[in-house]
Amino acid sequence: MGEVIVITSGKGGVGKTTTTANLGTGLALYGKKKVVMVDADIGLRNLDVVMGLENRIVYDLVDVANGMCRMKQALIKDKRFDNLYLMPAAQTKDKTAVTPEQMKKLCDDLKKDYDYILIDSPAGIERGFKNAIAGADKAIIVTTPEVSAVRDADRIVGLLEASGFEEPKLVINRLRPDMVKRGDMMDIDDMIDILAIELLGVVPEDEKIVVSTNRGEPAVADETSRAGKAYRNMVSRILGEDVPLMPMENFEPSFIDKLRMFFGLKVRTR
Amino acid sequence: MKNKILVAVLFGGIGMTNEPVIIKGTKEGITIVVEENSNFEDVKKVIYEKLQNSGNFFAGAKVFVKAKNGNLKEDEFNKLQEILTNFGMSLQEAQSPKTLIFPKPNRSRVLILKKTIRSGQKISYRGTVVILGDANPGSEIVATGDILVLGTLRGMAHAGAAGDTTAIVAAYRLRPTQLRIADVISRPPEDKEESPPFPEVARLKDNIIVIEPYNALK
Repeated sequence: MGEVIVITSGKGGVGKTTTTANLGTGLALYGKKKVVMVDADIGLRNLDVVMGLENRIVYDLVDVANGMCRMKQALIKDKRFDNLYLMPAAQTKDKTAVTPEQMKKLCDDLKKDYDYILIDSPAGIERGFKNAIAGADKAIIVTTPEVSAVRDADRIVGLLEASGFEEPKLVINRLRPDMVKRGDMMDIDDMIDILAIELLGVVPEDEKIVVSTNRGEPAVADETSRAGKAYRNMVSRILGEDVPLMPMENFEPSFIDKLRMFFGLKVRTR
Repeated sequence: MKNKILVAVLFGGIGMTNEPVIIKGTKEGITIVVEENSNFEDVKKVIYEKLQNSGNFFAGAKVFVKAKNGNLKEDEFNKLQEILTNFGMSLQEAQSPKTLIFPKPNRSRVLILKKTIRSGQKISYRGTVVILGDANPGSEIVATGDILVLGTLRGMAHAGAAGDTTAIVAAYRLRPTQLRIADVISRPPEDKEESPPFPEVARLKDNIIVIEPYNALK
């Protein structure tokens, strides 16, 4: 029986789709799990573009939910990685084209054949959000170090708690350690202090993400990308490993940090 | 459970003053209050209609009749008894109503919440609210009594919402977006000064909200 994880944020543009693509790819590539990513952003689909699969779409989520095609017909196998599938959203319809009940059924069906089902939620707290969380067992909340994004994340945590989700996990995206150091950006502790949920990982701002997103090749597979490394760590944590947060500095780790790393100790992130 | 529903259903009737009869659910059973100067035929008709509309919902209930202008006449009492028996209810002896004292907002009522109040969540309570956790920005706490936050208060808090000017807002760390006590509204100064690392209490003094360090000895 698989696990359904919804990736959500409230605010738009914080990196839900990027996070979904990278975690999905990572789980399939490094975890050797059977993974399907579901794009729940009907009408504004993106996940197919980020994965570089948009030209393979024939059927979509709305077709499956309404019984217009079989599940297998809508699922797109990834072009590079085995065990990785995409369920695209419809682009010509809107969020009301499926109901939360239909989403729940779809997730329950997918659970039988896949280890992980990642649902890319749309921004907002309305129908699209309700659809996205309907069939999910767990939730990952993505935020950026901005007051508005954290505020929206807080709202989402509240809504998830009200819907019976226990312990959603937090991903802090696009952190700029140099700005945090100068006191120009919220730091990790500030955000954890407000949101009071467990941290899944921190992704540093990385130009490579833009490149990989445009190319349709998730950064998680790029060994030289710092953001990719952060996603790989998150994948390990989802799989149950205890991986320390990676050091956030862009510069060389300090001598003490090197010593700590040498002994396999936790390296402080700031 | 049944009592709860009863009160809820009948609640609408309480405020209506034009009616010759008011039916209330009380903890003893059902009380029918006959208003002063009302015609007994009207009274009978209204009671009959009300009971008819509610089917056998009230079956088995004890009914008290209170007439505001003294006691009912014996034949009136008997007629009422007849109607009520038809609906499966038993009429107890009629009493003249005691003066009902409208309850003041009870400050001793306390709502204790062991959780973080998050953005978009609103707590409204007739009484005192105690939060064992934080109240985040974008949240609202409204209480007719005091508001005590045993974590950090970052949202909006309105104490004494029904006009109680003695109400206070206290927090382990008081960093509200806005504070209201009774009908006075205040916000923290724009220039971001470091807020003190100790518990504080906000209260009204001369119609201005003042914030003082919490001092357990006072």
